[in-house]
Amino acid sequence: MNEEHLAEAKSLLTAFPGKSSALIPILHLVEDEFGYIPQEEVEVVAGLMGVTAAYVEAVLSFYTLFHRQPTGKYLIQVCRGLSCHLNAADHLAHFLYEELGVQRGGTTDDGLFTVEEVECLALCKDAPVVQVNLAYRPRASEEQLKGLIEESRRGVAQHA
Amino acid sequence: MPETRLLFRHIDVPGIAGIDVYEREGGYRSLRKAVTEMSPDDVVQEVMTSNLRGRGGAGFPTGRKWSFLPKDGRTRYLVCNGDESEPGTCKDQEIIYRHPHLLIEGVLTSAYAIGAEQAFIYLRGEFKDGYLTLRRAIAEARAKGYLGDDVLGSGRRLDIRLYLGAGAYICGEETAQLESLEGRRGMPRLKPPFPATAGLYGMPTVVNNVETLAAVVPIVEMGGTEYARLGTKESAGTKLFSVSGNVRRPGNYEVELGKVTMGELLHDLAGGPPEGRSFKAVIPGGSSVPFLPPDKFDTPLDYESMRAAGTMLGSGGVIVLDDQASIVDASLRLMEFYRHESCGKCTPCREGTMWLEQALRRIVAGEGRQGDLKTIEGLIAHIDGQTFCPLGDAAIAALGSALRLFRGEFEERIATPERQLEEVAQ
Repeated sequence: MNEEHLAEAKSLLTAFPGKSSALIPILHLVEDEFGYIPQEEVEVVAGLMGVTAAYVEAVLSFYTLFHRQPTGKYLIQVCRGLSCHLNAADHLAHFLYEELGVQRGGTTDDGLFTVEEVECLALCKDAPVVQVNLAYRPRASEEQLKGLIEESRRGVAQHA
Repeated sequence: MPETRLLFRHIDVPGIAGIDVYEREGGYRSLRKAVTEMSPDDVVQEVMTSNLRGRGGAGFPTGRKWSFLPKDGRTRYLVCNGDESEPGTCKDQEIIYRHPHLLIEGVLTSAYAIGAEQAFIYLRGEFKDGYLTLRRAIAEARAKGYLGDDVLGSGRRLDIRLYLGAGAYICGEETAQLESLEGRRGMPRLKPPFPATAGLYGMPTVVNNVETLAAVVPIVEMGGTEYARLGTKESAGTKLFSVSGNVRRPGNYEVELGKVTMGELLHDLAGGPPEGRSFKAVIPGGSSVPFLPPDKFDTPLDYESMRAAGTMLGSGGVIVLDDQASIVDASLRLMEFYRHESCGKCTPCREGTMWLEQALRRIVAGEGRQGDLKTIEGLIAHIDGQTFCPLGDAAIAALGSALRLFRGEFEERIATPERQLEEVAQ
């Protein structure tokens, strides 16, 4: 973890009535920084928490938002809840796989995009729903996603 | 059939997520009234009188849940369940994202009532922006003295800590939520002991849904008696219904319980089926309850009537299927969900949801076998009532009713032409 996150992680250790509660918030810091939970960081977190690395892995493997493999700069999550399913969410997911040349859960070679299909995102009234880096894209359409992909690619090009 | 807006009365006011507009619309008056004019027991009494029932799905009387806390002087906690993950349900999301101060006021007022200095709001990990919205709102409320070490000069401490989950449906179950909040895998605990006696960190704890705690604000404002006049005797007050799926105006609608039928909700508020279509069925209470067919759309939306109609009010997440939708496909989609979300603790749920998914997948793929429906019914019987937490029963509720109400669709899918040809060839 970078210094800022490490300092925050240390402050989390005493932020709750029980120290054990700091684990998931600390794992969020790691996931935010790296886009996944690298093995070295599992050891760091275990050291901070005073538990074994195996314990940390047991906890993080329970939760879908923690990844063990690097994810793209943009994590695109297509909701496949029943309401989204009834609003053709499958088509959106397949559109993304074709457009980006990835399979379900895969990341583009340039490391920009990861596409996942996820369970109900709790915005059923605005189906089909997509989250990009956990920000909602309600009533998502192919055109909208295409625009988002182009914009993201340009944004990265500008920063380069 | 109009809505009756208590929780959503001000939700469309521009800027309501900010504290100045919220206060201008009367916000934080209930908290002030509770803390400065009422004892904690007075507030509990109002909630008892209101007949408010838990809005997360179970419908347990909130005041009674609060009354189970032992009076033994131990530290108490309030946990607000903002893990909203029940397919078809998106009401708490709207409160959190658009009306954060209503939730904060409800949490603080309730924490005061039950004698908890520290409250937690557990949000599902996907509500990251909602977390930031609440964090901003809590900072605003703190600056105005609504929470902190000396709330409104009362000398009382009330505080809220936000907590982000990380993706797991089961964490909406209250004891799994406490496990997750304590930094463990979200697997349900054995009950008893119930959270009221041994909850968070082993201390007396109340876990209430977002909508439930938000409802405490109008209850304190208008008084429990007045609130109980809304709705029916057993199902008091208003409730949010999320309508989604094959419907013209999907959305969250707040109505008086028992005063509006399913048909009125679907047609008058949600605009009816898409052009040229008709309704086939709804799953009325989030995906974990039995289907309700159109011949029962005259059922009033309250806990008792829905139960009498063979289903449940649940979370109020109404998933609408029109005549073009396939019950078989929907059943597979739901079973994939429950298989994915089963925590794995109980064999009937862990293995049963997987086998059910496999059988349904076969049928959807046109490879169904004649005995598959019997196999499915056998599996359902082996899950029913055999699991530690309600997830097992939730997984089979819609499927079981689908087999009763729409058996023909399954049989037809099993007897696909491809399948018949194969059988002839053999």
